[in-house]
Order: sequence, then C-alpha cells, then structure tokens
Amino acid sequence: MANKIIAISDINVQIFSELSQDLEIGDILIAKDGKKEYKFEVVEINNNIITTIPLTSVVGLKRNIEVEKFNSGLSIEYSDNILGKVFNSYGELIDATKMESVATKTIYNKDNTLDKIKVDYQILPTGIKVLDFFAPISKGFKMGLLGGAGVGKTVIIKELINNLYKSKQSNAVFIGVGERSREGKELYDEMLESQLLDKISIVFGQMGENPVSRSKAIYSGLTLAEYLRDSKKQDVLLFIDNIYRFVQAKSEISSELKRVPVENGYPTTMATEVSEIEERINSIEGGSITSFQAIYVPADDLNDEAVQTITGHLDGQIVLDRKVAEKGLYPAVNVFKTTSKMIDVELIGQRHYDLVKNVLFYLSRYEELEEIIAVLGIDELSAEDKLIFYRSRKIRNYFTQPLFVSENYTNIPGKFVLLDDVLNDIEGILNGKYDNVDESKFLYIGTIKELGI
Amino acid sequence: MDEKIQQEKKSPTAISVNNDDLSANEQYVTRVVEDKVNNIKKMNNIYGVGKVVSIKDYIIEVVGLESVSFNEVVNIDNKGIGYVVALKPNRVSIAVLKKTDNIKIGDSVYQTNDLLEGEFSYESFGRVIDMFGNDRLTNEKFSNTIKVPIEQENVPIMDRTSVNRPLETGIAGIDLIYPIGKGQRQLIIGDKKTGKTQICLDTIANQVNKNMVCIYVAIGKTKREVKEIYYDLIKKNAINYTIIVAAFYDDLPSALTLTPYYALGVANLYMKQRYDVLVVLDDLKKHADAYRQISLMSGKAPGRDAYPADIFYFHSRLLERGCQHKDGGSITILPVMETKSGDITDYISTNIISITDGQIVLSHDAFVKGEKPAINYGLSVSRLGGSVQTPEIRVLGAGIRQTLLSYLETRDVYELANEDDMSAELRTKLFEGREILNALQQYKYSPLTHEQIIAKFSTLIEQYRQKAASEDQKVVTTPIDNNQVPDQSATDTSEIL
Repeated sequence: MANKIIAISDINVQIFSELSQDLEIGDILIAKDGKKEYKFEVVEINNNIITTIPLTSVVGLKRNIEVEKFNSGLSIEYSDNILGKVFNSYGELIDATKMESVATKTIYNKDNTLDKIKVDYQILPTGIKVLDFFAPISKGFKMGLLGGAGVGKTVIIKELINNLYKSKQSNAVFIGVGERSREGKELYDEMLESQLLDKISIVFGQMGENPVSRSKAIYSGLTLAEYLRDSKKQDVLLFIDNIYRFVQAKSEISSELKRVPVENGYPTTMATEVSEIEERINSIEGGSITSFQAIYVPADDLNDEAVQTITGHLDGQIVLDRKVAEKGLYPAVNVFKTTSKMIDVELIGQRHYDLVKNVLFYLSRYEELEEIIAVLGIDELSAEDKLIFYRSRKIRNYFTQPLFVSENYTNIPGKFVLLDDVLNDIEGILNGKYDNVDESKFLYIGTIKELGI
Repeated sequence: MDEKIQQEKKSPTAISVNNDDLSANEQYVTRVVEDKVNNIKKMNNIYGVGKVVSIKDYIIEVVGLESVSFNEVVNIDNKGIGYVVALKPNRVSIAVLKKTDNIKIGDSVYQTNDLLEGEFSYESFGRVIDMFGNDRLTNEKFSNTIKVPIEQENVPIMDRTSVNRPLETGIAGIDLIYPIGKGQRQLIIGDKKTGKTQICLDTIANQVNKNMVCIYVAIGKTKREVKEIYYDLIKKNAINYTIIVAAFYDDLPSALTLTPYYALGVANLYMKQRYDVLVVLDDLKKHADAYRQISLMSGKAPGRDAYPADIFYFHSRLLERGCQHKDGGSITILPVMETKSGDITDYISTNIISITDGQIVLSHDAFVKGEKPAINYGLSVSRLGGSVQTPEIRVLGAGIRQTLLSYLETRDVYELANEDDMSAELRTKLFEGREILNALQQYKYSPLTHEQIIAKFSTLIEQYRQKAASEDQKVVTTPIDNNQVPDQSATDTSEIL
C-alpha cells in the first residue's frame, strides 16, 4: 500500500502516500477501479498527504483505492499535422482523426526571456470601422474584447477570424474556454464548409466540462501556438474565447482546495497564474503571436478584479457596452473605453490622431447634450450644440457595420472597410459635408460612397 | 427507492434467521451476514453501515461506510435517503434528499451500492412528478419506473449540429424578432409578475399536434402555483404531451437543486429516441439560491454575492444539455430568471445570459402600460437570429426589428420635440414604430401561426408605406427640415422676417 485515496469531493481528491518524496507538483497519478480509470494532477504536497485535482468526474470513486504515478505530466502530442485538428483540453484529438509521427511536449512551457522578445509595430487592418479607427491593431498585439453577457464578444471574435485569418492566410489557433459547445461546433462546421480548416488548430474546453478541464485548455492551446511560432516560424493568430473563464475555473478549483480567496471568491494566486499564460503569448525573432482575447465582464462590472488583472497585460482593448447594444447599434462598442497603444501620432500619423481626438470630443459632448435634451428638448440647444448633436448622431450611426458573420441575422451582406475610407468619411461628417443627409442613412453601411451622394 | 428501503429494512434484523429450510436467496443473505459477523469478530469495520455523528439541517456526517462511493445513495435508518457529497479520511458527508422522520445522532446509515439516480415512468405525461418516480397528484409511486441519471456526461461537442429549425411559440414578438430554434437555450428574464411563466406556457400550449415532448420544471414554486399551471395546461389541451416535474418551495434544497438535472436526464431519454423536447426551467434564481444555501452550509467559501465559486458551472453544465443532436433529436431549454427592479446585470442573471443563446427581457414598465407580452425589445437578444427562421419570416423579421429598435431609440430622444417641426422621415419613423409596437400586442393563449404573422405584418408594412407616400405629398408645403444645419435655417427665417 504505497499510495491510497483517503478523501474525495467534487474536484479534490486526497491521497496518502508513503513515497511522497518522489512526487512533485504537476505529476499525474492514476487509479483503476474495475474498468474505470481516473487521473489526478498533484497540486499540493503536505508530508504524506497529497492533494490532487481529478481530470474527469469522480462519481463512483471509493476510498482506499490504490494510486500509481503516471509516466508523464500533462503533455500534448504535436506534429506538422496539428493544423485542421480539434483537441480537447488535455490535448487529445476529438475529431476522430489521427496524427502520425508525433512528439510530445509538456503543456506548461516556460515563458520567454527578455532578450528574445521582439517589439515592432505593423498595422493589421481588421476591416471593422470602429476598431480600425479607435483601436488600431498591430502585429504581435494582445487585444482584449471586453463585454458583459450577450453584447456581442463572440460575434466580433468570429468576424476577426473571418477578416484576418481568411484574408491573411496565416496560421491560427482557436482556444475555446468555458464557452458554448454549440458555438464551438458551429465555428468548426463553418470552417470546414468554407475549406478554411487547414490552417487552424482548435482546442475546446467548453462550459459543460469540469473546471480542471476548462482551466487546462489554455495551456494546451498555447503549446500549439508556440510550436507554430518557434518551430514553424509562423506569424500566428491566436483567438481565445474566453480568457475570463480560465480565471473562473481556477477560482472553482481553489475554492475546492479550501484556499482562502480574495474578493469575490477569486484565488489569491490569480495575478501569478494570469501572468504565466499571458507572458507565453509573445512575439520573438522569426515568429509572432497576435492574440485576440475575449474577456467576459461578470455582472457588467469593469472593475472586477479578474478583468482588471487580465487587461493589465493587453496592448489594447475593445469594450462592448450593453447601453449601446440596447439602442440596436452593433458592434456595440463603447468608444470612450476602447483604446490601443497605436493611438500615437508617430504610429498612426497626425491626421488619424486628430480625427480620433475630435470625434471623441463630439461624442462626449453629445452624451452631455442627451441629458439636456431629455429635460428641455432639442429646440433649446445653442446653434453650435445642435451641430454637434446632429453630426454626432451621424458619426455614431456610421460606426455601426454589417458584419460578414451576422449576415443571416441582419440580412445585410457584410462589409470590409478600408481605414482610408473611414478617415475620409469621418472628416466629411465633421466638416459638415453631410449635414443635409438624414441620420438614419448612415446606419449599417460600409462607406458613405454607397449612399451615392 | 421505496422498494430499496423495504429491502434494507430486513437486513439488520436478518441475523436472527433460522438456518433450517432456507431458499437459495435466504441462504445467500445468511452467508453475507455470517461474513460480516466474522468481520466483527476479527475487529474489522462492518462494511456498508455507518452511524450518524453530526446533523446540520439536511447535511449529516457519518462514521463508517468504509466502501461507499462518491455520489452513492444511502438509506438513513429507514427514515430517509441521502447521497454522498464528500468522503473525508474518517467521515462521510451526506446530503439528505428526502426524510419522513427526524434523524438522530447514532442512527444507522446503510449503503445501497446505487449511484445517485432518479426514477421515471413513461406514464408521466399529464402528471405532476418528482425525481423519485412519484406521482405528486396522488402521492403514489409509479409502478414501472426506470432509472434516469442525474449527473451525466454532456453530449460531446462533435455530436452536436447547428440549431436551425424554428420552434413556434405563436408569439409574434418572439417568432418574428427574437426567434427560438429547436435546440436553443433562450432565457426568459424579468421582474416578478411580468409574464415570464406565461410566455413559457403559451409556448407549450402552441405545441399541440407538433410531436413535441414538453417538460415543465417547477423549481421552488408553491403548490398552489403548480396546481394552477396544471389546470391551465388541461384547459389548453396541452397536458397530454406535457410532464410537470415539481420541486416545491418546502422540499429539501438538495432535492430542489437536483430536480432540473433530473428533468434534463428525462429530456435526454427522449432526445435519444429522436424526439424534439422542450424543457422549461422555472426558475433558476431559486435554483441558484438553493445551491448557495447548501454550499454555505457545507462550508464552501462564499464568492460574489455569497454564491460559491462553482455557481457558473452549476448552471453551465445544466444548460449545456440543451442541444441539437446530430441524430435528429433536440432539447430546447427555456430557463426563467427573476430579477429585481429590472436589473438584468446582477451576478446570476449575467451568468445565465452568458450561457444561453439569447434572452427575452420582460419589462415591468411595459407591463403596467398594458403592453403584452411586455417584451423589452432593446435588451432582448437572440444569438441565433435568422438562422432559425424560414427565409420569408427572416426577411420580414429583420426589417421589423430594425425599424422597431430605431423607433424605440429615437422615441426617447425626440420625446419632447414638436412633431410639426420634425422632418418627414423622422415622423414616418415614429409613426411606423408605433404601429409595429401596437401590432405586436397579443393576449395570452392567442397564438399566431407563421402564416398569420407573415400576413399581419406584411399588410402592416404595406399600409404604412402607402400612408407615407400620401404624407410625402402633404409635406411639400412645409419644407423646414429640422435635420438641416440649424444656424442656416435660423438666418433663413430672419431674412424672411
């Protein structure tokens, strides 16, 4: 009796071990009970008592069952054929395919040292007006997509996959963490249908799975992205939907381990664990990773600890807002909170920079005017304010856009808009060129040229 | 489960059985007993039996039960049943599911070797049932029940296909603007008394002759409310294809939290037989609160709003059972969520919104204004949208939705503006919006077929187009467009003066 199970709860299994000196954190233990096989990952060692988290459900597990050490920690098989494949959180293929001549690699890779990190700005047009204008994206950036429940994060992620991945023909990795299985499957089906599956690897740890599985998907997915960057020297697009769910899963595990939480039940180790994964997402000489990370905002609270911890790592953020969505304006971007490191005269040029500044001035004045109007009506505004009011509404409407991925919803074909056109159009609206055009004409168009004015 | 209790009753007293003239079965029992007696003599623990050492409402701790498994059902001294929620080095925590008498320290607890499962009878249609296989209307157990798993592996991601077949609710505001597809999870959310349950009942009633299995799950409803729903469904001839699964307010919280899982287990049974199943979970706020109660009672650390850290997973694994299976069957789930003061951004509501495929938001303001159904069209969402509509209704719906949303937003801003000063376009927009909103009014249990919806709204659009055309001619006489540059128009008028 070298190792045996002494305590079991949902995601916490304790093992008494006489050989605990041979074990280390991250080791996998395995127990067999009849036909059933259970795997556990070591997370705490206290003398002879080993605390582990089970990789799968422990329903039916008994105490006093013998446990053995498995030959390796969590690792993922990889080969040149990882593209076009679908993996689960533990790096196992789930699309009924096989890979040949595989090698394995631990999923807990160390992050990069400072000397390897490459900093360079190279604009990456997304074709989405409001993004390219307010939060331009550079190759190698980490962009966050923040939003409460049901304001359109996943739609933007899918549009970005559509616009960037399809046009660039880069290699990509999609990591589904704690999101809907239905959406995951639809993404796969759409990729397969449009024959785009051959350059993307997909990892799923969706919301119906236990927290251990959900938390591991990100490590497995990152390992694949690193392989493409380091060994295949690729510029990789990495889509993570949704990284908040990683922290959430870690909270669940931490709570089951009876560790003392910080506010709102988040684990004390949150900052460290988020840094460990975020630092792995970096660009080095020869290969880059540009990442888009959807971040769920619980209870619409942007000050949430987990959200703040994640956004601390980002180069830019796109904030989606329920108040905008409520008005039927999609993408429901809150332009005041949306920003990017690229908003710098040296990087985007004086003209773009000034336009952003002016538009933000107009729109913030508009917000104030809305309050005045609610009490006094439009007629009471000064002539200058009326101008700002009407032009702002046009700008606001102009930044709505028919997206390719929501065609069957809006019934309007998607539009890819070039930044130059956006700059010209916005300049036109600000200068009063379109003062005589009804504001509703600007809704869900690509460029103003389409209006034939 | 009752039979089980009967059997268990015999075992502790079986020691006094005479060895003469025994049937094979009794001989087996005697042998088992002798083995155990020998074990006691050898100072081993008596496997399969434990003693209650701690009682905290419905969470009890037991010493013994050496070989019990995680989630195994146990019999507590024939007074009740419970299941194992945690195994500790020398104790076992048990959540009591049902009890007929008070549990005392020292009561014996027997292993059953059965993992936690519910029981279900195929004769449950038209009845109010519980997870133990009882007919709650008669308080009797169904005679021919089968086991239904409570916790089960979710349908694997690769076995799902896209949700694209419409589920007709008969409510124009839903079918046209925020449609629901078979296999979709669509949340119905709103304050108390805004018609949440009514939307679900309307939907169930509209499934007449559509070969749909409907399961209405009452979570923490009063007995009276459930009885009313039962009678309503009888009146609407909807009871024949509906099963009502009820966990009342005064049932134990452990049973309350498990009942929706059980109901989805039943739904899964029918989906596997390629049925389309509709499950209404009414409501998840009470479900979450019952789980919070259990979690805090069993010593889990409180997180946001004192809910345990795994409250998201508690609902996500439940709602992820809704799907369109590749073999043809589907489970559509309509979870209901109660809010306070119309705030849909509280913790549990946003959790559920982030799981479901959309939400129908009901507004108290609209309800008191007499708008029925009191849908807040601005806040409602369908993530599947047109993909679950027929092409004809999709085109119509997209147009109506755009006009309506644009009207609702404009209405707030131009509420105080003088209508005579408005541009013709703006006036038309406000007029059309009002017309659409009126046309969407629909009293309970008065379903419209898709053909009727198409006819009604196509005519409406046609009418207001004609009206707009005649308006345009009138407008020519008053050319002041408020949308023009204001200072320009100001100078114009001053010149005229």
